[in-house]
Amino acid sequence: MKPTNIVKAISAAVLILGLSGLLSAAEKPILLRNGHIITVSGETIPGGDLLIQGTKIVKVGKSLSVPPGAAVIDLNGRWVMPGIIDSHSHIALEGDVNEMGDLITAEVDCKDIINPQDINILYALTGGVTSIHTMHGSANPIGGKGIVLKMRWGKSAADLIFAGAPLTSKWALGENPKQSNSMGMGRARYPKTRMGVEESIRDEFEKAKDYTRTWAEYEKKAKAAKDSKGKLTPPLPPKKDYRLEGVADILSGKLWVRCHAYQSEEMLSIIRLCRDYGVKLVCFEHGLEGYRITNELVKYGVAISTFVDFWAYKWEAYNTMPQAAALSANRGVLVALNSDDAERMRHLFNDAAKTVRFGGATQDEAIRMLTINPAKIMGVDRWVGTIEPGKDADLAVFNRHPLDPFTVCEMTMVDGTVYFDRAKYLEERKKAEEEEKKKKEPEKKNEGEV
Amino acid sequence: MKKLIIILGATVFMSAAILSSQAEPARLFLKNATIVPVVGERIEGGCILVEDGKIKAVGKALQAPADAKVIDASGMFIYPGFIDSYSHFGLAEIGAIPSTTDYREMGKENPELRVAWAINPHSVHFGTGRVTGTTTALVAPSGGTFPGISALVKMDGWTLPEMAFKEDATSFINFPMTPRPVGEGVAVQKEAKEDVTSKLVEKIRDYLKEARRYIELKKLAAEDPSVKPPEYNAKFEALGPVLAGTLPVIISVEKAKDIELAIKFVQDEKLKAIFRGCAQGFKVADKIKQSGIPVIIDSLYTGPSEPEDGYDAPYRNVVELAKAGVLISFSSGDSPAQGKDLPYHAAKAVAFGLSEDEAIRALTINPAKIFGVADRLGSIEVGKDADLLIATGDPLDMKTEVKQLVINGRPIDMSNWWETLYDKFKKRPEK
Repeated sequence: MKPTNIVKAISAAVLILGLSGLLSAAEKPILLRNGHIITVSGETIPGGDLLIQGTKIVKVGKSLSVPPGAAVIDLNGRWVMPGIIDSHSHIALEGDVNEMGDLITAEVDCKDIINPQDINILYALTGGVTSIHTMHGSANPIGGKGIVLKMRWGKSAADLIFAGAPLTSKWALGENPKQSNSMGMGRARYPKTRMGVEESIRDEFEKAKDYTRTWAEYEKKAKAAKDSKGKLTPPLPPKKDYRLEGVADILSGKLWVRCHAYQSEEMLSIIRLCRDYGVKLVCFEHGLEGYRITNELVKYGVAISTFVDFWAYKWEAYNTMPQAAALSANRGVLVALNSDDAERMRHLFNDAAKTVRFGGATQDEAIRMLTINPAKIMGVDRWVGTIEPGKDADLAVFNRHPLDPFTVCEMTMVDGTVYFDRAKYLEERKKAEEEEKKKKEPEKKNEGEV
Repeated sequence: MKKLIIILGATVFMSAAILSSQAEPARLFLKNATIVPVVGERIEGGCILVEDGKIKAVGKALQAPADAKVIDASGMFIYPGFIDSYSHFGLAEIGAIPSTTDYREMGKENPELRVAWAINPHSVHFGTGRVTGTTTALVAPSGGTFPGISALVKMDGWTLPEMAFKEDATSFINFPMTPRPVGEGVAVQKEAKEDVTSKLVEKIRDYLKEARRYIELKKLAAEDPSVKPPEYNAKFEALGPVLAGTLPVIISVEKAKDIELAIKFVQDEKLKAIFRGCAQGFKVADKIKQSGIPVIIDSLYTGPSEPEDGYDAPYRNVVELAKAGVLISFSSGDSPAQGKDLPYHAAKAVAFGLSEDEAIRALTINPAKIFGVADRLGSIEVGKDADLLIATGDPLDMKTEVKQLVINGRPIDMSNWWETLYDKFKKRPEK
């Protein structure tokens, strides 16, 4: 190995693996001092302090006293907001996330393929993102299960899981399950229409109901046989079906439904379906035409997790506008801005600023779309989404207001531990690059001698 | 008070838009604005007089001619209209529907294709793409090695000839990339052993050599009747001005190593080149500067070219290129639907260290220089085309609203697909 390669490996480690020896409140309390604190739960506190102990926020206010042994970070007027929450993502998963072969794939689970080494976790942190809902793709009317993760870069797969977060079921309507575009091109499979998509869900529900009933009957008979102490013959158990068990978990409300949909009529129809079966439909994913049915979304309590301005990439994404998020929010719909993309994830705060220009969202509302709103949609608002005593110390520090066009995320903290620190990152990068330069120079001399 | 001024301003602009659909005014007078001319100092409370589509006068205490249409731009900021240095405006409506896309022809060698033959002036993306201040865009073909010839168009007009500023703005060469992108059938492993890129560059050189020979032979035949002229070849004909160095050629190139190869290629072939992309340009910024080749920056909503480049490489790249003195310009990239993000890419670079002034130059005068049209576009100076953006604040800020665009001296109709939907659906009664 040439010396340059070794140095390259060292600098690569810094650039890719992140930083070691970062501050953690697990060891000693951390006091963040003299920053603008965007609490989301209340007013923004200029010149505010924030005390973190263990994994939690303990105090928020002005001129807090320094507890003994605490590490003090002077924010010097920087802006702190709750860590950004991305309610629609596909990062930190190993391999493909679309189970294309079958129509219904309720049996597969993202939990089984968590990839803690996906560099996009680090990229998420560099954009102030601390929690994500990572999910199955959109090829199936009823797809696999999704999971909520915290961006604890460097930890194991199991350690990334957001304990207590509800599990989710990914559904998809429209062009993707219809396989209208590139998805599954060249293969003919039912459904090819929106009618067929909805029917395939209803069909599966009936199968799952039968399945649940069959098992309930079996268990009843088995219990009776056991209780009869040999008088009754124990029944044979029915065949196990993991797919239908997944669907049954939807019907029982154990899984929260996150439904990929674009067109308003299709959304209305699926709201009706979910009401017919008593299913917990939490949120439409993308929901680009959701602004057309705000009355209904408010009435039935269905949220929208959307892009601010990603559109026209296919027909069902054409009838929308960047004003949609703000208009829907103004009318009382719970709206989250999501990424659905490893790159968009790291500039969600820029996307939020666009809702102020397009549709006239207030800056507070724009920030809510990145924090408490997705937290509510993901069922984790007890722990994250605002800066309040008792909540997880998941924070993003920006050099300017997060909606300022020239803002940069400088530090990101999850559970009271700093996972990203731009100043430290730049320092180590500079060191690595200088060393690389130094190693290169003698090489050049050698070349000269030859 | 500030708000009141903005509201008043908005009313004036609305009437301006209505007027514009009627007869074209011979003279337009803009007053009370903060003018950022890009070339020259910022003017507070400034005025601009426009006559016959051109800027006639710029200054502080100008008098409105009696017959001029006057726009009071109090509280507003006026910049030269932005120039998008790479787009597919008018060539693509909906990405997933092939019948609506026209920028990518079959095959690898299509230097003779002209986007001017295919641009749809009424694509919705012209309307939505200009809401943040773009008044001129380079519309480019893509794909293969020689995608064709781009056009520089104004973002308003009833027909293409009305929009076209330069129907043949640049040619293109997509430089081979190391390592080959996934899906091109060359394994990365193999790449390490064999220098595939150099071989592919040789192929391009061979093609240019053939084109040169064709042009040479044609010339000879014209001079000497005993020489048989070559059979007509549209592709080689189209490469004529490229080889003569009269038509600039945009060369897409990403990696540091490839950029060095491309510089050598440009020098050997004596091309008038513009680089596009240069994701790893920061590693060879001095060499790019030395070559004198300008760089069109691609969309900054992108990750690093390689993880080793660092998470902030796309933004750092712009800063380093500018610092080295490379002439840079911004572009909205491959999707016309995301065209309005043009100034936001510039903002992203400013966040990471580019000066605001340089960012504005890279949206105005720099692209004008790069495309050889700085005599007419890119700044608010007397004699130049009256292409202006009038905004409520800093046009790099996502929260700023561009209230009105002036193109060729005409306040244009600012309505667009998004506004149509917004106007309709905000009227739905709330229940």
